[in-house]
Amino acid sequence: MSLLLQSLVLGVLLGGLYALLAAGLTLYFGVMRVVMIAHSAFLILAAYLAWFWTTETGIDPMVSLLWTVPLFFVTGVLIQRLLISRLRPATLTMMSVLLTFAVALVIEGTLGFVFTGTQRRVQLPYGGADISIGGVNIAVVKLIAFGLAAASLLALYLLLTRTKFGQALRATIQHPEAARLVGINTERTAGYGFGLGLATAAIGGTALSLDSTIYPSLHWHWIGPLMAIIVVGGLGSIPGAAIAAMVLGVGQSLLQIPLGTTWAQTFFYIALFATLMIRPQGFFGGRLAQRF
Amino acid sequence: MPSASDTRTADTGAAAAHAGRRDPRGVVPTIVKAVALVLLAAAIVAFPSVAANPFILSVGVVIMSYAVLATGWNFMGGFTGYMSLGHAAYAGLGGYSTALLIVKAELNPWVALALGALITAVIAVPVGIASLRVRGASFVIVSIAFVLILLLVFQSWGGFTGGSNGLRIPRPFGPEVLRPEQHERFFYIHAALLAVALLLWWLIDRSRFGIGLKAIREDEDKAQALGVPTFQYKLVAFVLSAFFTALGGGVYALWFGFLDPVFQFSILIGSYMVLMSLLGGIRSLFGPALGALIVGYAVEFFKSEYGDTQFHLVATGLLLGIVVLFMPDGIIPGVTGLLRRFRPQASSIREVTQAELAEQRAGGAHTGTDSSGGDSTGGATRAPDPQVTEGVHP
Repeated sequence: MSLLLQSLVLGVLLGGLYALLAAGLTLYFGVMRVVMIAHSAFLILAAYLAWFWTTETGIDPMVSLLWTVPLFFVTGVLIQRLLISRLRPATLTMMSVLLTFAVALVIEGTLGFVFTGTQRRVQLPYGGADISIGGVNIAVVKLIAFGLAAASLLALYLLLTRTKFGQALRATIQHPEAARLVGINTERTAGYGFGLGLATAAIGGTALSLDSTIYPSLHWHWIGPLMAIIVVGGLGSIPGAAIAAMVLGVGQSLLQIPLGTTWAQTFFYIALFATLMIRPQGFFGGRLAQRF
Repeated sequence: MPSASDTRTADTGAAAAHAGRRDPRGVVPTIVKAVALVLLAAAIVAFPSVAANPFILSVGVVIMSYAVLATGWNFMGGFTGYMSLGHAAYAGLGGYSTALLIVKAELNPWVALALGALITAVIAVPVGIASLRVRGASFVIVSIAFVLILLLVFQSWGGFTGGSNGLRIPRPFGPEVLRPEQHERFFYIHAALLAVALLLWWLIDRSRFGIGLKAIREDEDKAQALGVPTFQYKLVAFVLSAFFTALGGGVYALWFGFLDPVFQFSILIGSYMVLMSLLGGIRSLFGPALGALIVGYAVEFFKSEYGDTQFHLVATGLLLGIVVLFMPDGIIPGVTGLLRRFRPQASSIREVTQAELAEQRAGGAHTGTDSSGGDSTGGATRAPDPQVTEGVHP
């Protein structure tokens, strides 16, 4: 029983991180109809930057957020401005996948080149600490990672629903032409949307660096589950992505008990194929999602 | 591949005006192309005997293998525009099923090869049914997911597949065949396979089936509205593509003699196929093979020059990015487009992409009713970007 409860809690904690990253992917898709394969590569890049920061300065990795988040935001805007917007509209979706895939390869290769393929891990004074609540042991770092993800998701939600910029962004996602008609600069808004998406990768990467071992090709282990999440949730729906992330994260965590860690990963892909057979547009997206 | 569009005419007035010019275009290029084809075939046949040493020959085999895989990929990517980044899955499945049939079932290697490719094609049917229900990006996601699943399965299921330790495959030829001889034979086997794949691609390109597939590529909804059975067509193209990729993977496995899931089910191999095809030109018969020659040579060069560092990832990524951004139609359409500028302009209806059509309409607004694509002033004003003229099917 306590094992079940333990897995459930771990699943929720993992699901929170998945939800934040999937929200970022959904933002890219919403503003530009782009599936950003490089999202998880930026995630690992941020984790490496956090690790590098801590080993060089000895300061907590979370402090690195102060410069990685702005850096990633600007990078995101630049990627949208300089790369994505150059593609022809007719083939944008397909070519953007290839282009962001190329970005992912460059990042992975550069990380391997600069930091070598050795596995790295941040050494933290509280790295081994854990809290015990009702027979469930939770590592403090996992709790911090979840807190970081949850706080960022909340901030993102408030930004999208309560601010003028959020309204403009949502309008751009829903109907770019109509948004232009009411005076929104959709080009600029889309760029900022891209930057926000990449900022989630910076936060997620820092959270990831707290409790996992990182290596350059790790991003392939993240992109598969994340892609499965956004297809299951329905491309373009942020609440859908968050709910799917939670459900799949908990599901994976629970399945680890009977199946072991390796086979439990297939859960994401089984969910992906099941979704395609039952409801290709995803469980929360509109009919539109099927076309992309 | 040249003539299909040459014989079609736009409107009779323009056709009559250009009839005299088009005639030589029809005959001379055919002869030139036939000669070029014979020369190409001769060069391939002669390569093993002029190759300086077995290493060069083995590089030739690798490039040939890439050419087969890229051409196999192009049955799906080129005709329908559904670009799978996970085609390494089928190459890996072809390789593994061939190997397992030899090792576990002790079949004759060549029977195992054919059977392995058939098994892979059968596996591709349900995967195709699931993934072809969605378009564009979702399709690419599913293709990547499939490779990742297979990597997971083949690594974890050690008892059957050899797991991460890999799987050794006995040589199909006896011990009396030495390694250089082995390379030579496999070079020719790959070349023969490539020839069959190219022939089939050419036949499909000229068939009604091929036109249906290309209609899907340009506008799937309109194709469906016009009565093209889009789903069945896509599925057939998908399975055919998986079959040839699996054959390529199987022959490679027989030649290399060792399989490791990390290299067989690698996203990098899948992205090589896409890069090669895009670089050469996915609408051209020889595009993927040309791309394979360039990329394959570059990859081998990087490996021998800089060792197995991560740098080749950066190089692949940069090259893919440059191709996608600046020449998404590839080398062959680019070069033929360039050559066409020096020839008399044709005025036939050619295959035009949706984007070009939109541009033509926008450009045609100030050229009045003259709709004859290429030589209108509308065409001239939108010419500064060389990509625009490339989409024309060669």
